[in-house]
Amino acid sequence: MINILSGIDSTSSALNAERIRMDVVSQNIANVNTTRGPDGKPYARHQVVFEAVLGDQLAAGSPPGSRPLEVRVPRVEIDKRAPRQVYQPSHPHADANGMVAMPDINMYEEMVDLMSASRAYEANLSAVKTARSMALQALAIGKR
Amino acid sequence: MIEGLFNQPNYVAAKKLLDVSEMRHEAISSNLANIETPHYKRLDVAPNFAAQLSQIVQSRDPQSISELKPELAIDTSAISSRKDGNTVQLESELMRLNQNYLENQLETQLVSGSMLRLRLAITGRGS
Repeated sequence: MINILSGIDSTSSALNAERIRMDVVSQNIANVNTTRGPDGKPYARHQVVFEAVLGDQLAAGSPPGSRPLEVRVPRVEIDKRAPRQVYQPSHPHADANGMVAMPDINMYEEMVDLMSASRAYEANLSAVKTARSMALQALAIGKR
Repeated sequence: MIEGLFNQPNYVAAKKLLDVSEMRHEAISSNLANIETPHYKRLDVAPNFAAQLSQIVQSRDPQSISELKPELAIDTSAISSRKDGNTVQLESELMRLNQNYLENQLETQLVSGSMLRLRLAITGRGS
């Protein structure tokens, strides 16, 4: 099938993937002080993994690089770093020594991740805008 | 007779270039989509296409121009400046996006212009 907007498959998959990434970052920021999750442990930082997929599976026999690629988020990984220990004896989740296990979430790291996700989102939006102008021009061929 | 007008080498070459600019846009979209994907290598129109086209245009044979097949290929000249082996650079990709857009605009105007001239010849007026 011919798309009127060329490259729209790649672009829309990327917009989707970047949105998932932004969602995961906001989830991390929201849970910066969550000391108990559903599993009874402090919240662990989540992280997205990106993967390129061949858009048209029918063309699987074609040589690498001859087809545009889409991107997807195959899984969201849980960061393995150990929780941060904070001395807060009055906290209901404090242990015998008065230490509370807090998620080790670095706010700067999350903000940088959020910004680069939003920049990548903008870049893909500009690609789709250009595709739209190109399609409009193509539709105007032969008009004055 | 009208077929003859649509078979002029310049018109056929402009149409072919339009196809190529669509294809390059797909490649650039794919590159921008995978800007954060580890080990992704940027795609572009195969570098030998320009040479092939200019060689065939010399022959002024519309048939062989329209048979030319542009292809996408991994850009082997791009070097990675990142740890994850990805060769896409946002700024240069956006530059190419805009450059390709302008090329597309030029080519649509060339194609459109040929048709308008044909219409002028038929009707005797430009509109």
